[in-house]
Amino acid sequence: MVHDAQMDYYGTRLATCSSDRTVKIFDVKNGGQILVADLRGHEGPVWQVAWAHPMFGNILASCSYDRKVIIWKEENGAWDKMYEYCGHESSVNSVCWGPYDFGLILACGSSDGAISLLTFTGDQQWDVKKISNAHTIGCNAVSWAPAVVPGSLIDQPSGQKPNYIKRFVSGGCDNLVKLWKEEDGQWKEDQKLEAHSDWVRDVGWAPSIGLPTSTIASCSQDGRVFIWTCDDPAGNTWTAKLLHKFSDVVWHVSWSITGNILAVSGGDNKVAYTL
Amino acid sequence: MRLKEIQRTAHQAWSPAEHHPIHLALGTSAQQLDASFNTTAALEIFEVDFSDPSLEMQLRGSLPTSNRLHSIVWVNFGMGADGTGGRLVGGSENGTLTVYNPEVIMSSGVDAVVGQSDKHTGPIRALDFNPFQSNLLASGANDSEIYIWDLNNFSSPMTPGAKSQVGPAEDISVVSWNRQVQHILASANPSGKAVVWDLRKNEPIIKISDHSNRMHCSGMLWHPDVATQLVLASEDDRLPVIQMWDLRFATSPLKVFENHTRGILSISWSQADSELLLSSAKDNRILCWNPNTGEVIYELPTTNQWCFDVQWCPRNPALLSAASFDGRITVYSVMGGSLKAQQQSTANKISSSFDSMDPFGTGQVLPPLQVPQPTVQDTIVPPLKKPPKWVRRPVGASFAFGGKLITFENPQLPPVQSPQPVPRQVFVSQVTTETEFLQRSRELQAALQSGSFNNYCQAKIHNAKSDAEKDIWKFLLVNFEDEARVKFLRLLGFSKDELEIKRSDVATAVCDARTSGSVSPADFFSQTPKENANFQIPVSCDTNGLISQALLVGNFEGAVDLCLNDGRYAEAILLSISGGEELLKKTQQKYLSNQKNSISMVSLISSVVTQNWRDIVQSCELDNWKEALAALLTYAHPEDFARLCDTLGGRLEHERTEKRCLQACLCYICSGNIEKLVECWALHRDCSSPLGLEDLVEKVMMLRKSIERLRNSEVAVQSPILAEKLTCYAGILAAEGSLATAMDCDKYLLCVCTILDRLFHAQEEAAVGQQPSNSFNRVNVSTAKPTPAAQAPAPKAQIVPMSIGGRSVFSPPGPSVSAANLSGPALPPPSSTPGVPPTSFMPSTSFPSGPMPPSSQPGAPVPMYPGGLHNQGPANPMASGPYVPLGSGYPQGGPGAPAVKPFSAPAVPDNYTPPAPITAPVMGFPVEAPQSHNHAQVPPGAPQEPSVQLLQQLPAERVEQKEIPAEHMVLKSTFDSLVQRCQLAAGDPQTKRKLDDAVKRLAYLYDKLREQSLSHNILNGLHEISRCVASQNYQRGLEVHTQVVSSSNFSEISAFMPILKVLMTIANKLGV
Repeated sequence: MVHDAQMDYYGTRLATCSSDRTVKIFDVKNGGQILVADLRGHEGPVWQVAWAHPMFGNILASCSYDRKVIIWKEENGAWDKMYEYCGHESSVNSVCWGPYDFGLILACGSSDGAISLLTFTGDQQWDVKKISNAHTIGCNAVSWAPAVVPGSLIDQPSGQKPNYIKRFVSGGCDNLVKLWKEEDGQWKEDQKLEAHSDWVRDVGWAPSIGLPTSTIASCSQDGRVFIWTCDDPAGNTWTAKLLHKFSDVVWHVSWSITGNILAVSGGDNKVAYTL
Repeated sequence: MRLKEIQRTAHQAWSPAEHHPIHLALGTSAQQLDASFNTTAALEIFEVDFSDPSLEMQLRGSLPTSNRLHSIVWVNFGMGADGTGGRLVGGSENGTLTVYNPEVIMSSGVDAVVGQSDKHTGPIRALDFNPFQSNLLASGANDSEIYIWDLNNFSSPMTPGAKSQVGPAEDISVVSWNRQVQHILASANPSGKAVVWDLRKNEPIIKISDHSNRMHCSGMLWHPDVATQLVLASEDDRLPVIQMWDLRFATSPLKVFENHTRGILSISWSQADSELLLSSAKDNRILCWNPNTGEVIYELPTTNQWCFDVQWCPRNPALLSAASFDGRITVYSVMGGSLKAQQQSTANKISSSFDSMDPFGTGQVLPPLQVPQPTVQDTIVPPLKKPPKWVRRPVGASFAFGGKLITFENPQLPPVQSPQPVPRQVFVSQVTTETEFLQRSRELQAALQSGSFNNYCQAKIHNAKSDAEKDIWKFLLVNFEDEARVKFLRLLGFSKDELEIKRSDVATAVCDARTSGSVSPADFFSQTPKENANFQIPVSCDTNGLISQALLVGNFEGAVDLCLNDGRYAEAILLSISGGEELLKKTQQKYLSNQKNSISMVSLISSVVTQNWRDIVQSCELDNWKEALAALLTYAHPEDFARLCDTLGGRLEHERTEKRCLQACLCYICSGNIEKLVECWALHRDCSSPLGLEDLVEKVMMLRKSIERLRNSEVAVQSPILAEKLTCYAGILAAEGSLATAMDCDKYLLCVCTILDRLFHAQEEAAVGQQPSNSFNRVNVSTAKPTPAAQAPAPKAQIVPMSIGGRSVFSPPGPSVSAANLSGPALPPPSSTPGVPPTSFMPSTSFPSGPMPPSSQPGAPVPMYPGGLHNQGPANPMASGPYVPLGSGYPQGGPGAPAVKPFSAPAVPDNYTPPAPITAPVMGFPVEAPQSHNHAQVPPGAPQEPSVQLLQQLPAERVEQKEIPAEHMVLKSTFDSLVQRCQLAAGDPQTKRKLDDAVKRLAYLYDKLREQSLSHNILNGLHEISRCVASQNYQRGLEVHTQVVSSSNFSEISAFMPILKVLMTIANKLGV
């Protein structure tokens, strides 16, 4: 059973992960598909895969029911484990790489309720920060905010480096969508968004398209898909808009690269929404 | 993992799945007393709030009840749309069935009982509600009593069938509705018998009984997915098993699950995942089974107490509650986690609960209970061995670069697991939302590629929705035509021919007027020639006389003065012409300064005369922009033309109204100022929508093409705003899947963005061009020590090996990383522009020293493409060259000036003539050297060379084209000599014929070599073959031949490859 399929940055390689404990990488150029790697290392179903930005090389993260997060790297055409993180006490449900501006940083959400942030510090070292009890009885999804401050295209004086704040959104079994941000090296809960009446299955922070609005999509076991928007530069006022109510669980939301389409995967079929 | 816990000796009921938030109802158990020996009874409702990390549950409502309960269920009957309410139904020890409204319990408690019946004669141990019709409730009690209650009509229950039909009267321990067929109900009794009732027939339809007779039925549940299967749990310590029965073979159990060591007290089947069946037993264990395999997949970490009731939470499938005989209700999660020092609080609570009470009524307070303090430690509780269904994501979709959508789905498993692996499916599809945008971008692309700009513009004019749009396209079109300036004039409403007609009309009118006696001073020029009849020289003392006298004495100056003073300007001018240049100028000035009153016409004349066009564009009324522009088109020096147009455009743009901005756009189109055009356009037109962007890009591309056509070179535009728009445009194209077009579009920019790199890599074909030179810096995060040579994958020229020392490198891009950039080959490889060092044209800002800001970072200067990205071969000598910055000397032709012939690359037409020096029609301007069209030969930055040189060089190039490139000459010589050798050695006519054929066919090869149309791969193969032939190793040559043939496009090689094989075979045979 395939649980996730993700294309790399260029859209030429496809990584899939499955209940059979494997992660597979396919070359999908020219409409064909060639299996280029079969990554084995997990001891349980693999839930999600995430490609790091290519500036760091070919790096893939995977998370599994076996409570592990494995970071794989291609070296001279061969894929190998680069790092294995075993700091969670339950299934790790979601992994997401931060914007490349922050270096190699991975957020992992687990059924143990915690979110881990793994930062590569060089020399094969990873720094681990853990937000315990981020979502009681489990975190289902994590998604990073784009590094660009909303509206920076309009307001930012040229040449001046924007003051990036690391932020991400998470969704969990406590029916909450939570926003986190890093302050003085510590992760803090920034916002708690309440609207869902059941598990939040997935969250997706929309890519920045230069408008001074932050947008987040969340979907839930309750069949509802919400679009959260924030026009406030301080990021404090979020308003929810119900995009649709499905009759069944909604598993997954995915924004298009330009942020104008949202793909919603429900229990029965897939629906794409143009926003 | 334990999540919530409360001290209660009670039966429990979860709120229904639809209910939000999750509540747990607890009704005081019958036949159980806690340490208080309290016999009061209550129904309590707790909220299970998981955002509160503590073990406590919030009490939301409590209702004292007269009876203790044996059973309780929470039905979603009567539930509001908001997910609250429903009904609580309790079965008591004395046979009373009571229906409560939980909302009322939680609010006031008054009148919470909405129905009560004493129909049952004994304790009601069994309750279940119909999953399809929530108003239907089944209850079972002593003496084989089973009633079906309709909550809409509570007073009169029905029975599923006659009691007598199932044998001797017995207690009913369980009733259970089938999960698939709504009229099927099963009941079971402690003796181990189960009866299945069909409510439509009102009779039992099947009886199940284990032959061992040891089954002591404590639980019975239907399979959530399979209609004919049910499980029975045995409370008997001698047979502590769960049996699975299938009614299709109801003679013996299908499966028996054995693991408990003592009798099973309770079972619960997860409705969310039928592979999870819970059981609790007198061996103090709570197990979770996979009923499909009989395997125990989980054991809950529990206390040393019997748990008499376990229940999955209907809403949150990972939760279950367990009621134990030690008076505790505990909520667990099966997803594992860390069990923190929770015992601590529990102990305190037990202690305090005793403290506050006086259980024996002695009036003495008991001493605090000494509860041993468990050691505080974190225990990691693992999750279920097998992931439950609700965490196994079955479907998903994610977007990828290029508008691709990756979707996957897993076909529904049949309920009975099939041994075959499940076919999995991942799909990649293309998402396009902007069909019109794509269509238009394709049209644009087609026009750009085919060079049919005129047709494109004409179509645009034809389809233009507004006049303004039409005007703009007309102007753009004119740029592609000869005599652009004249046509611009015509577009502005000024036509030389028409003027001629009008003028002669006026002249005729004047003549007529003259003949009729009334003198019109209208037209000096048409008037003067008429006065060539015999005349009289006046010598009187009036002005006429004085002038005549002055003239007669040769005093031009005096005569002119006299004329001017008398207002006879024509005479003054005429005289001053004869009086010499100096006098003429003086006279002009005097005239003009005298005529201040009629500004516009005079200032026009003034400008014409003094060639001072700046005044016109700077001070004319904006309503007269057309006239001003027309004047520029007619008179302005090519060097100044663009600047003047821009000035005029700038003034128009400054007005900020839409109308003016469009007019300004026309000015910029005339001047060829792409940058200003973009800026001005963006002021008033929405460029954020794809179509708006397309509107702009179409115009920019056309203008750019027209400038290129005039200049005959690539045009690089340095405009941040254009860069931003094009990046945006490319982004949309990419998102819609038009990667190639997006790439093409971005070629015009040396983007300070990453999209180009992304496009490059995303392109399906490998060799689309050279790797974009600047994208993000690549950071080496190798696990091994960085070894630059080994780590740079071949195609990535841009990889910058660097080792990461500390975190600072990873913090937002800063100068610390920039050092790494120095080693990167930032410039396009020199081979792309042979002989032209590209650096000389690169603004230093082209290659920012730091890592790139995110693609959307604006404001940074965007250097333009030097064209280095274009694949450039000898076949296209015009493709690249010096890039003359825009804004000077465009366009080159004024009215009357010879038009610049359009260039058609690659071959230069034989009749090509260099553009003639450009002169303005009225005033003689210094002859300007035309810009060179021979960019390939001109060192960038060098002064433009005279066109003569161009003429000399171009034919040379054409001749050269007929030659096989030097590096391939060896092929010809080798193969030719091979043929000759064979011909000398060959004896039989058949071979000779073949060899003659070979000569012809090799000619095809040589043609291909001349055309340079062969792929790299084939060329390499040919060279290898020729080396083999030279060394007379034909065998090897044939092998190489086979390789080439097998790996190449047949149509490309079919003309000559077969003959090479024949040739080598012959040579091999002949041994030459």
